[in-house]
Amino acid sequence: MIELEIALPLSRFRLEVAAALPADTVAVLGPSGSGKTSLLESIAGLRPKAAGRVTIRGERVMDTKAGLKPPPERRRIGYVPQDACLFPHLNVGENVRFGMARRNGAALFEEAVRILEISPLLDRYPATLSGGERQRVALARAIATEPRLLLLDEPLAAVDPALRGRILPYLLRVRGSLGVPFLYVTHNAGEARAVAEAAIVLRAGAVTFAGTPDAALEMISADEDPEARFDNILSGLLEASGAGGENGLLRIGETRLVVPADPRAVPGTRAVYSVAPEDILVSTRPGRVVSVTIAGTDAWIGISAAGVEWTARLTRTASDVLGLAGGVEVWIAVKTQAFHRLG
Amino acid sequence: MEAPSDASILLLTLRVAAIATLLILPIGIFAAWRLSRRAGAGRTLAETLLSLPLVLPPTAVGLLLLELLSRSGPLGRLLDRLGIEILFTWKAVVLATAVMSFPLLVRPARTAFEEIEPRLLAMARSLGCGPIAVFRRVALPLAWRGVLSGTLLAFSRALGEFGATIMIAGNIPGRTQTMALAIFQRTHIGRDDAALRLVAITVVIAFTVVWTSEIVTRRRSRRSET
Repeated sequence: MIELEIALPLSRFRLEVAAALPADTVAVLGPSGSGKTSLLESIAGLRPKAAGRVTIRGERVMDTKAGLKPPPERRRIGYVPQDACLFPHLNVGENVRFGMARRNGAALFEEAVRILEISPLLDRYPATLSGGERQRVALARAIATEPRLLLLDEPLAAVDPALRGRILPYLLRVRGSLGVPFLYVTHNAGEARAVAEAAIVLRAGAVTFAGTPDAALEMISADEDPEARFDNILSGLLEASGAGGENGLLRIGETRLVVPADPRAVPGTRAVYSVAPEDILVSTRPGRVVSVTIAGTDAWIGISAAGVEWTARLTRTASDVLGLAGGVEVWIAVKTQAFHRLG
Repeated sequence: MEAPSDASILLLTLRVAAIATLLILPIGIFAAWRLSRRAGAGRTLAETLLSLPLVLPPTAVGLLLLELLSRSGPLGRLLDRLGIEILFTWKAVVLATAVMSFPLLVRPARTAFEEIEPRLLAMARSLGCGPIAVFRRVALPLAWRGVLSGTLLAFSRALGEFGATIMIAGNIPGRTQTMALAIFQRTHIGRDDAALRLVAITVVIAFTVVWTSEIVTRRRSRRSET
């Protein structure tokens, strides 16, 4: 249960957030400049002018009306800002130990290093890390303080495309093994659904939606938030694929999905994938396989559908998994974006 | 009275400059840190006052100190009652050089503190550091080059202080006569050769100190680049 009541005058508008969320994990959605970062900083105590009340699992973090406004160092809130904000004069290990909790610090340090897979980075300095690595170190540093609440500000995809979604699998692991409540700022409603039980949408400093992440979808449109995305987040176990090894298999429940080959993939480990909604094909037109031609690891599939002869290129594994052979009935779908005008 | 040797003059000068620098170091770092975190009119006023010794004639600063410390002055009366004698002793040399060197320590140190990303300081607070710990664990380690460069500048300024020193400490061989004062005196009595010997020594020391300061400020360690 997270209750927020924050008021903070900003130059563009007044941030006025009021939400009582029956959840410990909350996604914060909304366009850039809607006050998401200001909200996190207010909760962390980094905005001296912020007034209001914050309660986490019944524990009051601040309550300015009752005169409770502790300085940031006494709030026990783990803040992971967009730019990670690592101390440049300290190496990764020293950064993670910086605010280590007195009592459980050592154990938490080990736990954080393990969950976030940063042990190979411990002796390196922040300037030598990639954006995704910095985020992981910052998250580890926050966890080691034994926080009552984690605040995560996801960097914008536009800033560093390679970084998008990178922290997500780790956040899922943190949620699974530590159970720390968190607020997660993201532009990706799919990620919100994958990690959070509740979501709020901010617009010009006000909460325009509070509810489940799925219901938040109706608030996500490109005209309102150009950065908004919805990616399908799929989490499952990797399995060894067929002989060729050109593909991997992801098992989710009883379903096995063919995923691209990944040299780092270890069968039996958990993996998280994202699938852009634009890449999902919806079809109602049945067709029939007329030929399957194997060429190395590729399979060329001849299909007759909608009165047209198509040729599709699959990997051999995919073709085997689907059991493709002459005469098999299949559905095909061609993405609109796949039609390129040539003349 | 026998004239003191070059070596004893050099020793006196180094000792006085070192004590003066050590004396202003904590105050200067504190002032630089506070100034770097402030904004507004109060800060501009404080900065202007702190920089005055840089631009005023050193003899003017010396005279002000003399008025302050003389038996009829506000501070002098108190010191007199406590039995502390400052004027025309080596302590006066320390005081004069300390006052004159102070701005040279504060300015580079302040700039170095100002260059620290404020978000790093906020982050340190959020990670459990009180204001003093923030200074000790983040601000000072990130600004040490500027602080060191300011310290070296202040020290080299202290070595060569003349105007304020002669006003409140006089030019007493063996007691308050530093290199700068001895050069003046030797030239005055026509011992240019002896004065030039001291000049050579001061050139070597000043060169070394400023050179070190330049190297320290120029070289940015790879890891603090972001």
